[in-house]
Amino acid sequence: MISFKNVNKWYGDLHVLNNINLEVDAGEVVVVCGPSGSGKSTLIRCINRLEPIQEGELVVDNMAVHDKKTNMTKVRAEIGFVFQSFNLYPHMTALQNTTIAPIKVRKMKKADAEELGRETLTRVGLKDRINSYPAQLSGGQQQRVAIARGLCMNPKIMLFDEPTSALDPEMIGEVLDTIKMLAKGGMTMVVVTHEMGFAREVANRVVFMDDGYIVEVAPPNDFFRNAQTERGKAFLSSILSH
Amino acid sequence: MLENFNFRVIWEYMPLYGQCFFATLWLSALSLIGAVLVGILACSMRLSQSRLLSWPAGIYIESIRSTPLLAQLYFFYFGLPSLGIMLPEWVTGVFALTLNSGAYYAEIIRSGIQAIHFGQIEAGISSGLSYFQRMRYIVLPQAFGMTVRPMLGQAIVLVKDSSLLSLISIMELTRAGQLLTSERFMPAEGFLTTAAFYLVIYYLLKAFSNWSEKRLIFKEAF
Repeated sequence: MISFKNVNKWYGDLHVLNNINLEVDAGEVVVVCGPSGSGKSTLIRCINRLEPIQEGELVVDNMAVHDKKTNMTKVRAEIGFVFQSFNLYPHMTALQNTTIAPIKVRKMKKADAEELGRETLTRVGLKDRINSYPAQLSGGQQQRVAIARGLCMNPKIMLFDEPTSALDPEMIGEVLDTIKMLAKGGMTMVVVTHEMGFAREVANRVVFMDDGYIVEVAPPNDFFRNAQTERGKAFLSSILSH
Repeated sequence: MLENFNFRVIWEYMPLYGQCFFATLWLSALSLIGAVLVGILACSMRLSQSRLLSWPAGIYIESIRSTPLLAQLYFFYFGLPSLGIMLPEWVTGVFALTLNSGAYYAEIIRSGIQAIHFGQIEAGISSGLSYFQRMRYIVLPQAFGMTVRPMLGQAIVLVKDSSLLSLISIMELTRAGQLLTSERFMPAEGFLTTAAFYLVIYYLLKAFSNWSEKRLIFKEAF
């Protein structure tokens, strides 16, 4: 579903992605972790070309993201992206946030889109907040609206860029539960997160990145119990010690 | 002092003032609509990646903002006919006001657009919205929401600037004061009445500003 082949990316002289090779199969849940500045956010943002890559091949749902000629609107319509800072549209209600892309990109009828939006918001537990504006919602609720916004495009892939890092601790659970529900429904997902309990429960594989390299790829239990590299061990001890 | 103030003459001139009040209103309204449209266009050109678009917009905005409106108005009124372009006076007046305020609106809208968090645009990109769809549905509504106050401030400036149209013999509020002054030699009555009508327009715009701000439920998000 997602395939990185020898992908390289630079910001000026800074080599932020270093010869990345990674395959994500349909229905698979991959958790990406690593210290800050390791390139994990960049990695996930390349998948829908929020960041362009300079070298290598990146194929998503049989479409060549590395190719400048590829129609990215089509690719992006198949990928839901959830940001750390939610990025909900503040001038639209929760429902309008979820219906704008189906109406404008998928050319869905307004009534159908609203029906879908209501259903999806109900699914993420926001039945009674459908007509609320983002500013009237808690962080956890906002992030669930953002997830619903992605889901309403009926995507093949969902990408999460540190979805719980901007949340107060008591709201992390509700967002993770929503993501777990998707994982169990068979959605292909790449999740950048430090929530190791979450990774253990739902990830098929953990990708550990450091300094622009993929250092380790392993099933979560293997990685957490028995990291193979020094850097992996050092990272785990630093996040698990508190 | 007040016993010298002639209310009877003001009353006598009221039909003229009423007519001129509406003239000021519609001249301003027309110029305002034009200025906002020109502002959106100039601002999107200025923010464009292409120098072919951003330079002309920059030159337009800078040259308008750096020269007095009266000079611009005289250029259009006296200058254009000498170049063979003849327009009715009111068209010249609206044109000058539109171009003048348009440059200020371009800058106000730009400040609103640039205050929008880049994450908003990324969210639009991620869900497949095109550049124009992102502008139309995400960026501009927020930019307008954030700039309601400066936009209405500029509208008030525009209404007051329309008084300069009296100098190219367009009938509007200030011209009414001039007429009362020259026909009856009563400048105090004439221009105080003119000022009172401007005050009415000011409070109308201010009431609209307050009303629209209250309607912006999402404003606490900014």
